[in-house]
Amino acid sequence: MAKKRLIFTLLYNNGDFMLSRNFRLQKAGNINWLKSNYNFKRIAFSIDELIILDVSRNKRNLSCFCDHIKLIAEECFIPIAAGGGVVSLEHARTILNSGADKIVVNTALLKHPSLIKELVKIYGSQCIIASIDVIKKEDQLECYISNGMEKVNQDFCNYIKYVISLGVGEVYLNSIDKDGSGQGYMVALLEQLDNSVKVPIIIAGGAGNWSHLLEGLKHNMSQAVATANLFNFIGEGFPNARRRLLENSLDLATWSVDKVVSVND
Amino acid sequence: MIVIIDYGMGNLFSVQSALNYLGVSSQISSDVEVIKTASKLILPGVGSFYQAMENLRKSGLAKIITETVVQKKTPILGICLGMQLLALSSTENGFSEGFGFISSVIKRFELPPSSELKIPHVGFEYVDIVKNCKLMEGLGAGADFYFTHSYRMKFENQPFTVGTCLHGENFVAVFEDGYVCGTQFHPEKSQTNGLIILKNFIEKF
Repeated sequence: MAKKRLIFTLLYNNGDFMLSRNFRLQKAGNINWLKSNYNFKRIAFSIDELIILDVSRNKRNLSCFCDHIKLIAEECFIPIAAGGGVVSLEHARTILNSGADKIVVNTALLKHPSLIKELVKIYGSQCIIASIDVIKKEDQLECYISNGMEKVNQDFCNYIKYVISLGVGEVYLNSIDKDGSGQGYMVALLEQLDNSVKVPIIIAGGAGNWSHLLEGLKHNMSQAVATANLFNFIGEGFPNARRRLLENSLDLATWSVDKVVSVND
Repeated sequence: MIVIIDYGMGNLFSVQSALNYLGVSSQISSDVEVIKTASKLILPGVGSFYQAMENLRKSGLAKIITETVVQKKTPILGICLGMQLLALSSTENGFSEGFGFISSVIKRFELPPSSELKIPHVGFEYVDIVKNCKLMEGLGAGADFYFTHSYRMKFENQPFTVGTCLHGENFVAVFEDGYVCGTQFHPEKSQTNGLIILKNFIEKF
C-alpha cells in the first residue's frame, strides 16, 4: 500500500500567493517573497506532494500562472498537481507542460464532464484530482463550484459518486466553513464515505496544528491531508509536524531532510 | 554533457530541475550528434510503451541510442517508462519490442481479483535494496520513492536487479547492469532519496 501523504496547497491569485479564510482571500506575497522571505524550499522538503491552485477571482492569466508553476517546480522534488479554472484540453496540457504531474479540476466536473472523461482517457486517472468544496448547513452537506459561489444541486454523497464515476483518480475534499480557521478538519466529510469509495481521498480545510494533521491522516477513509495556510506551519513548523507524525507511527515516507545533496566535482 | 533525451514523452523539465539543483548542467535534446557525444544519457518517459518506441523508431533516435550505448558504452539511466524501454518488450497497447539492453519483459501487474490494491500503483513506496550497487549507494537497506505505473518488470531473481518493491507481487524497482541502469520510480520526484540516486549516476558511472 502506498504511504499516506502530507500535502501543501499554494493558492495563487494574479501573481500573488494568498491566505484564504472561508474562501475570502488575503495577499501574503509574490513569488520572490515565497522563495526568499518565506523559504518555501524548506517546506517543500517536508511534504509528499504540492498542489498549486489558481484561485484568481478576476480573469485568469494562464501563461502567468504556468510561469509560476515552473518557478516553484524548479526546487520542488515531489509530485506537483495544479489547476484552477481548467476549461479545455489545451489548458490542461499547458499546465502539465509547465512541470505539473497532475491536474486539479473542480467546476468542470459539473460544467464539462466530457472534458474530464477526455482528460482521464488521455492522461490516465492517476493524473486527475477532483476537488469538491463543501459547506455544512445545519445537518446538510452542500457542495459548491466556481470558487464556492455556485451551489451544486446534488447532496454530498450523490455528488461524490457522480464525480468518481467520471474516472478521476483522487478526490480533494475541502471544507469552506473550516477553511483558514485553524480549528481542525471537518472529519464529518470522511464519516459520510463508505467502502464503495475506491479512490484516494485528500482532506483539506482547517488544519491549524500538527495534531489536526494527525487526526486527518489517522482516519481510515483518508489517504492524505492538505493545508493551504501559509502561516500555521511557518519556519520549522512543517519539518516539526512531519517528525511528530512519524513519531506517532504514521506510515509516511521518510528521507533525510538535512543531508546536503550536491555533486562533487 | 549529460543529455536528457527528448522524444516527445514525459516530464523532461523536472529531471533537468533536479540536475540543476545538484549543480550539474545538462541538455534536453533530440539531436543525433548531441546524443552521440553525450557523457551520459537519461531516458525519461511518461505514457505508453508502444507510443514511446514508435516515436523513438520513427525519429531514428532508437538506432542512435542503441549505437551509443552498445558501442561507446555511454552510461544510460532510464526513468519510469524510460526504464521499461530498456527491457526486451512490453505488452502495453499490444506487443512491442524495447531496446533489449536488459533481458526481461514488461507486463501489467497481475493481482488476484480479490486484491484491494489499485492499478495504477501510485505513491511513495519502500524499495528494498537487494544487492550492492553504485546507483543506490548511501541509502542503507532501502528507501522510499515515488511511483506511478500500471506495468512492471516482475522480480524473478534477475542478476541485474538491485532494488525491489512490493505491490501485490515483487517487481523490479531498480536495475543496474554495468553502465545500463533504470528506476521504475521517479528519482526527480522522490525528495533527497531520489536526488542521491541522480547524484550517484552522475558521479559513479
